[in-house]
Amino acid sequence: MIQMLLDGLAVVFQPGTFFMTLLAIVMGTIFGALPGVSATMAVALGLPFTYSMDPVSAIVFLVAIYCSSITGGSIAAILFKIPGVPSSAPTTFDGYPMAQRGEAGKALGVALVCSAIGGLFSALCMFFLSPQLTQAALSFGPSEMFAITFMGLSILTSLDSENILRTSISGILGLLLATVGQDPMYGVQRLTFGSNQLLSGIEMIPVLIGIFAITEVLQQTISDDRLTADDAEKAGASTIKTTMPTIKEWLSIKWVILRCSILGTIVGILPGAGATIASFLCYSTETKLSKYPEKFGTGIIDGVAASETANNAATGGAMVPLLSLGIPGGNAAAVMMSALVLKGVQLGPLLLINQPQYLSATFVSMIITNIVMVFVAIGIAKAFAKILSVPYSILGPVIIMLATIGSYATNMSTMDVKIMAIAGIMGILFRVMKFNSAALILGLVLGSICEGNFSRAYTIYRADIGAMFMRPVAGTIMVVCIVALIYPFVGPVIKAKFGKNKEKA
Amino acid sequence: MFELILNVLLFLFLVYAAIFNVIEAPVPDKVQRNPYALQPGTWPTVLIVMLLVMIAINIVKILKEKKGKEEFSFGAFVQGIPEFFKSKLFIGMLLVVIASIILEPLGFMVTCFFLLFTYAILLGDKNIIRNLIVSLAITFFLYLFFGVLLKVNLPRGTVTALRNFALWLESLLP
Repeated sequence: MIQMLLDGLAVVFQPGTFFMTLLAIVMGTIFGALPGVSATMAVALGLPFTYSMDPVSAIVFLVAIYCSSITGGSIAAILFKIPGVPSSAPTTFDGYPMAQRGEAGKALGVALVCSAIGGLFSALCMFFLSPQLTQAALSFGPSEMFAITFMGLSILTSLDSENILRTSISGILGLLLATVGQDPMYGVQRLTFGSNQLLSGIEMIPVLIGIFAITEVLQQTISDDRLTADDAEKAGASTIKTTMPTIKEWLSIKWVILRCSILGTIVGILPGAGATIASFLCYSTETKLSKYPEKFGTGIIDGVAASETANNAATGGAMVPLLSLGIPGGNAAAVMMSALVLKGVQLGPLLLINQPQYLSATFVSMIITNIVMVFVAIGIAKAFAKILSVPYSILGPVIIMLATIGSYATNMSTMDVKIMAIAGIMGILFRVMKFNSAALILGLVLGSICEGNFSRAYTIYRADIGAMFMRPVAGTIMVVCIVALIYPFVGPVIKAKFGKNKEKA
Repeated sequence: MFELILNVLLFLFLVYAAIFNVIEAPVPDKVQRNPYALQPGTWPTVLIVMLLVMIAINIVKILKEKKGKEEFSFGAFVQGIPEFFKSKLFIGMLLVVIASIILEPLGFMVTCFFLLFTYAILLGDKNIIRNLIVSLAITFFLYLFFGVLLKVNLPRGTVTALRNFALWLESLLP
C-alpha cells in the first residue's frame, strides 16, 4: 500500500503533471460554477488537453476536472439558486435561503469543506475497495460481468421512476447504437447502412461530446435566463467572504457528513447512478432522519452539508467500478473510460493487478484536488462576477470549438466531428421526446461489454440461459436488477394497499 | 405533435433497420452450424423488437395524454414549421452542421473563425468589429495551444490556398 502511494505521489508530482492537475482544478471549478456546463461536459471538454499525455497523467487530469467541477457547482447554486451542475440542485434548497439571509459566505464555507470531506472519504474508499473488488472480479465469468453491466442500466431506469418507459427506450437505443459495425464475436457487419466509416462502430467520444456539450450550447442559444455579470454584482458575489461555521455548528452536522459520505460513495459505486442521484438521495434521507425536518428548505447548514458531501463522495465511488471492473459508474466516468480506451489501455480486473499506478495516481490526484479546490473555489466565488462577464456569445462558440477539437483529435477524423454534430442535434430531439440522454450514453458505453459477455456466457453454458444465472453472484445481481425494474410499477400499488390497510386499522 | 411524429419516425426507421440492415454480410458457416453460438443478428434483433414494443406503447401514451388538446393537431404543427426554420435553435444547428462539413476542405482555422463569428452574431453580439477581432484572436489562440503546444494534428484543409496558408503559418513558428 505504502509503495503504491509513493508511486502515485511520484506520478502526480512530476512537474508537468502537477501543473496540469492545478490547471484542471481551476478549469473544473470554473466549468462547474458556470450554469449549463455539467461535470460530464467539463470532463469531455478536458479531453483535447489529454491527447498529448500518457494514460496515467490523462486520468489524473480528468479526475481533477471531475471532482472540482462538482464542487464548483455549489457556487452558483448558493448565490443564484441556479445549480452549476445538476448534482448541486439540492444545494439550492438551503444554500440560497441562507444567501438571502446574508449568510452566503457561511453556506459557501460549509459547501466547500463538506465537498472536500466527501471527496476525501470516497477517495480513501476507492483506494481500499478497488483492489478487493478487483480480486473478487478475477473470479467473475462472463455471466457475472453481463449481470453487472445490466445492473447499471436497470438501476438508472428504476431511479427515473417518473419516466421509466422513455428511460428504458433511451438505454436500449444506446445498446442498439453499440451494435453498429462488426459484431464483437465473429466480425459480421451489422447496421452500417452501407457506410464503410461505420464498420468500426460508432465512436463513443464524439457522441458523448455531442450530447453533453453541443446540445447544451444549442439549448442555451434559445435560453433567456442565462446568468450575467450584472446578476453576480447584484448578488454581491465580489464582496462575499467565505466564512467557516463555528465548532458547535460543525459538531451538529458531523453525523450528516458521515452518513452522506458513506451513502454518496455507495451510490457512486453503483454503475449508472452518479453524483446527482447521490445528492438528492442523501438530502431526502437527511430530511427523514433529522430532528427538525421542518427546517430543511428554510436555509440550514444540514441541507447544504448533505447535498455537497454526497455529490463529492460519489466521485470516488464512480471510479471504483471503472478501475476494478472496467465499467463506468456514471457518465463522467464513461468519458474517462473512453479516454483510456483511446490510449489503448485494456480496462478490466487485470488493469490494477498489472498496472497499480492507475489506482495510486487517481487516489493522489483526488486527495490533492479535494484539498486544493477549496482554496481555488474560494477565489473563484470572489471572481465569479468577472468570470460571468465573459459573454455567452464568446463562451458558447468556444465550447463548440473545444468540442470539435475533442471529437476530431480522437482519431484525427472529420467523420467524428460530423457524428458529434449529429449527436448534438439528436440530444435536442431527445429533449423534445423527453428521452434520457444519460441512459443512451450508458447504453452505448456498456453495449459492447454487455453483448460480448452475454454471447460468451451463452456459448459456455451451451445456450442454457437459466444455467447462466444460476451462479451465486450473477443470480443475485440479476434478482436485484429484476426487483429494480419491477419496483417502480409494483411499489406504488403496494404502498396504496398498505395505506388503505392502515386507514382501515 | 412533434414528439409524436418523432416517435413514429423512429418506429418506422427501426422497422426498416430490422428488415434490411441487422445483418449486412454473410454469417460464417461455422457459426451458423454451431447451436451454442449466439448468432450475430440475435442481440440487435432482440433490442429492436423491445424498442418497437416500447415505442408503440409510448405512442399510445402520447395520444392518450394529448388527445383533445388544442395545440395537439397536425394543422398547428404545420403552421409552426416556418417559425422553427427561422428560430435561433435551427440556425444554431445549421451552423454546427456547416462547421462539421467544411472542417475537412477548409481546415481548422477557417472553420473556427467562421463558427466563432457567426455563432456570436446568433447569440446577439451586435459589435461586428469587436466580434471579428475576438474571433480571430481565439482562432489563433486555439490553433497555437492545441496545434502547436499540445501537437494535435488539426486539419489544414484540402483547398490548396488554405492548406498553403496553414503550412506557411506553421513554418513561422519555432
